[in-house]
Amino acid sequence: MAPDTAEKDLIDARAGRDASFFDLYSIDQANDNDLALIFDISRRFRHHKTHKFALNKGCSQVCAFFEASTRTLASFDLAAKNLSMDTNNISSSGSSTKKGESYLDTAETLDSYNIKTLVVRSKEAGVAEFLSRHVNAAVINAGDGWHEHPTQALLDALTMLDHFKTTNLAGKTITIVGDIMHSRVFGSLVRILKKLKADIRVSAPETFLPPFVENFGLKTYYKVDEALAGADVVYALRVQEERGAHGFIPTLREYSKMYGISRKRLDLANKNAILMHPGPVRRDIDVHSALVAVDDQSHILRQVENGMAVRKSLLWLLANRLDGKVKEIKRK
Amino acid sequence: MTTLLIKNGHVVDPANNVDAACDIFIKDGKISALGKNISEKAEAEIDAKGLTVTPGLIDMQVHLREPGREDKETLETGSKAALAGGITSVVAMPNSNPDADNQTVIEFVIKRTRELDLINIYPAGAITKRREGMHLAEINELKTSGAIAVTDDGVDVQNESVLRRAMEYAKTCDMLLMSHCETSDLTEKGVMHEGWVSTQLGLAGTPAASEDLAVIKNIMLGQLCNARLHLLHNSTSGAANAIRNAKKQGYKNLSAEVSVQHFALTDEECLGYNTNAKMYPPLRSRDHVDAIIKAIQDDVFDALTTDHAPHIEPDKLEAFQDAAFGSTGLETSFAVMNSYLVKAGHINFSKGISKMSVEPARILRLQKGTLGVGADADIALFDTNHSWTVESTRGFSKGKNCIFDGKKLTGKAVCTIVGGRIKYREGQILS
Repeated sequence: MAPDTAEKDLIDARAGRDASFFDLYSIDQANDNDLALIFDISRRFRHHKTHKFALNKGCSQVCAFFEASTRTLASFDLAAKNLSMDTNNISSSGSSTKKGESYLDTAETLDSYNIKTLVVRSKEAGVAEFLSRHVNAAVINAGDGWHEHPTQALLDALTMLDHFKTTNLAGKTITIVGDIMHSRVFGSLVRILKKLKADIRVSAPETFLPPFVENFGLKTYYKVDEALAGADVVYALRVQEERGAHGFIPTLREYSKMYGISRKRLDLANKNAILMHPGPVRRDIDVHSALVAVDDQSHILRQVENGMAVRKSLLWLLANRLDGKVKEIKRK
Repeated sequence: MTTLLIKNGHVVDPANNVDAACDIFIKDGKISALGKNISEKAEAEIDAKGLTVTPGLIDMQVHLREPGREDKETLETGSKAALAGGITSVVAMPNSNPDADNQTVIEFVIKRTRELDLINIYPAGAITKRREGMHLAEINELKTSGAIAVTDDGVDVQNESVLRRAMEYAKTCDMLLMSHCETSDLTEKGVMHEGWVSTQLGLAGTPAASEDLAVIKNIMLGQLCNARLHLLHNSTSGAANAIRNAKKQGYKNLSAEVSVQHFALTDEECLGYNTNAKMYPPLRSRDHVDAIIKAIQDDVFDALTTDHAPHIEPDKLEAFQDAAFGSTGLETSFAVMNSYLVKAGHINFSKGISKMSVEPARILRLQKGTLGVGADADIALFDTNHSWTVESTRGFSKGKNCIFDGKKLTGKAVCTIVGGRIKYREGQILS
């Protein structure tokens, strides 16, 4: 079947390029060319909205989610379907080890279905990277423990770049507020912001800051008002209820008072500053309800739209390499 | 009468201040003469030209898994691995299944050791029943049946009163108490050293303070009754400082060890979620490693050990946080000491050998670790300049989970003699 106009547009945008990586488990793997490539084609995918592409026809995908998810799973699944992939989703709460089967055995079994992409979410760090060494399918990390969530960072970066209409974030101040330590979103975001040359600030109580976090190349602030002054992007992270129970913070009530992003606090940032959040938002805890969806400054739903586009790009790049290269793996 | 002559070797025997070209004559399992150009004829002769001859190494911390987890290691495979590393005596830790909290397990290990007739295995008993840190094991019974020390290995006795009484009771029985220093309330779910690397990997870290606090606690309680206390596998600068101070203050019954991986490697080994780098105590950051090396130079640490911990492959083919703790080490410990301490210029060879023979023997009160006339003829012959790449799949240990796998080391055992009989020679076990 000859490519339709939209497909031709995408093929032109790709311009014969391939990603430098076979799997994506960490933003560390993506070089400047990779980011440019992903952003170029993501913008085109976004433009064509839900157009049904035949780009990945004949390719299968399994989302193996060993930790509950609704948004990310839906996004990866719809992205694959938009590219005409056959998809299957495996969700299991609790580690597969508990069922007596290891992650590796599960992944090797799925890999034997000749799938092209294996999207993995786990409550433990490093599972996607570990599995990528042993399966032929391209492994995409959809969140591993407290470590990384690379597609979230890609969509966040795209959202910021398109807002500022720039190719990098030099001179822009990004303030990240919330539970830094337990956040995979932070893990990927800080890495991509560094690559894009942003000035990074984080604000949280010390209990939410992992050791040596400043080694990422950022400044830490206990006082959120100071961190917000002059910010171009305010990025709020979700704070989970159970953290209170484990003594990281006394109560969500106190956290909200100290770090919740209110109208008044947002006004401390630059006039054109945007508010972002990876979702799901805890209204009135992380971010005041009124700011979530309706406010002009809030880009939270725009992030979600970009997420679809970025995931389509990755699936196309990883399932259909133009250079014909295949990764080397070690069967165990 | 059986006789054996080791000719033309360079003998390093720290116990007797020997570091010279010497021959060794062995008669009926004992060293009968040591000197230049021994002309007496022996039934067998070893030409040790180009080799370094030392007392057989003594490893104070080894997990042999038998009884209970013979799929991971047996007394036989562990013994063979030890021989290949120039080790002639080991302390077998009590975390078997069942635990060595009773005389039956101790007697079993001693009986098997005799049947195998490969190396000397000295079983350690548990401090508390099931190593749960609650009720004292029958320490005198353990002693009577042949246990060389007591330890709750892998866990520290968390309750200070229990620990204090254990020290007093072990002292009553003239038993060495060995502590694994860890404060479990601070470790929480930590799976590696807490630091910049754990932050990059998004893994829960164990703060150095977890070890520091436990070392300080053990020393304070040990000082109360002047217990014979040995601190296992120290890895932090805080532990080094606390032990340094306690020794300075005159706590003579205190001894301490470092497992060789803790002066050789840093927590960066965990990058890429390398589960072979997962162990307790965790591989630490460079500043701690440097402090440990300094303390080894200053003799704050008496002994060097392996903490040999074999596992089956599936236990390591896991998410990092779920993978088993530990690395094998019997076949590499000499080479690691030689490469990372001696060749790196931190200590001289004799000191390294001393901490792997004379000193463990002193702490354990064994008449070993020396090449003096009349001593047990436990001897190792090393090629100290042999450079090799570790391939754990080719080792004798059932556990292939060696953190040094793929790394290049210098120094290898060529021949290992136990009780005057050659048990290992150039890759072959002779039994």
